[in-house]
Amino acid sequence: MARQVVVALDGTQSIFNMSKVDRSKLYGRRRRVPLGPDGEPCQRASLTEDGSLMIRSGMTSQGYFDDDGYWIPNKELVGISPEGDPVKKVDSTLGKEVDLVGPVDPSRVLDLRLQSVYALEPDDFDPDLEDSLMEGEIYEFVFNYRADFRAETAFLVANDDGEVFAIIGRLVEPQWRDPEEMIATFDSDDDDDDDDELDFEMF
Amino acid sequence: MPAPQRKLHLTNSKGRNATVVFLSLKAPAGPKLGLPGKNVSFRRFLASTPEGLHAALQESIEEDYGAALIDGDPEVDMEEVGRTVGEVSQVFLSAKGDVMHAPPKLVEVIYDTDGSEKERRDWEDKQANVNDELPIRWTGKKIDKADAVRRFVFSRVIQISHMDGLTYDYLYGIAKELHDDGEMVLMGGGPKGKDPLVFQTNGTPYRAFLEGRIDGPRYQLLLHLSNMELRAPAE
Repeated sequence: MARQVVVALDGTQSIFNMSKVDRSKLYGRRRRVPLGPDGEPCQRASLTEDGSLMIRSGMTSQGYFDDDGYWIPNKELVGISPEGDPVKKVDSTLGKEVDLVGPVDPSRVLDLRLQSVYALEPDDFDPDLEDSLMEGEIYEFVFNYRADFRAETAFLVANDDGEVFAIIGRLVEPQWRDPEEMIATFDSDDDDDDDDELDFEMF
Repeated sequence: MPAPQRKLHLTNSKGRNATVVFLSLKAPAGPKLGLPGKNVSFRRFLASTPEGLHAALQESIEEDYGAALIDGDPEVDMEEVGRTVGEVSQVFLSAKGDVMHAPPKLVEVIYDTDGSEKERRDWEDKQANVNDELPIRWTGKKIDKADAVRRFVFSRVIQISHMDGLTYDYLYGIAKELHDDGEMVLMGGGPKGKDPLVFQTNGTPYRAFLEGRIDGPRYQLLLHLSNMELRAPAE
């Protein structure tokens, strides 16, 4: 059975089937293709810095190594926090009930560094949640596609057509800019077209 | 180390322009894979030589290929495999596998939503337009934040910042105007402000909406970037 998003608002569960949405499914895509003298697509390869070896597709792999050059199998690796401490593995949230938080302010969604968007098809939809989403309210929940060391933030949003989406990513933290900071550092015009529709196809 | 800052040339609602700096915001660093108390590094290494690739082995060993793999390690060159791959230069090979000594011709292939090729044309570089002679323009098209997040998928956040006292006043004014309205304004490139924003040569073109937040004398001016609408693909 396909994995599902299961959320609960005030203890009432809703279940959704999910399908990933990306730009190519909405608008198609464009690709830059290099052609050889015969008009056929070229293959890409790499030449090592010393020029001794031409690396073609399939000739490299990657992995983790210790300071002595020994390879470390993935199963031995654990999550290490930026402070250097081991962190617990976070289970996948798919198929498991996760509490919704909210409604939340739309600015929360704007502060998301996007990773993926899923269209959600309701299998079992709490009527109160449905009404709330159709009125434009937004809910936040914890999302983790597969078990790893960090869960993502997700927002449950409905568009004007009543389609429901999970918008997944990680929250950024904009800094306040201060007037004392003179050199800041970071750690309608003549448009005569009244058409408000934005053209995303032209990209 | 301070993050690198890049420049952005923009206009405000009165059509006054200024050049300021920006940074693409990233989420705080999370856990990394490793071993407690031990340094580990992620490396790309050589897993095979050209002679060890499937097609080459099939050709050289012929019908005994399967048995040769069981009996020995003909695919492994002990002198080379495991070697760390550092900096490399890109090389193009023709369809026959010969090294090309002249740059390839670049074409742009456009595919439909079903993956079929729709159009093919000569490639043209798309230049960045955020720090041009022409500023990115305040179009005057405003949208409520709640509507925006239900209509568009925002994938990146750019934070804009001042470089001196004058540009502080300029950006604070923009942030306050948008904060008081509670709306975002569409910013556009090109002579009429209708073009999407491109932040680097051949980079992704984005629609950009400017949001302002203020807290006393402090401000946040954020450019939210989107390259798709929030809608499900057609069945």
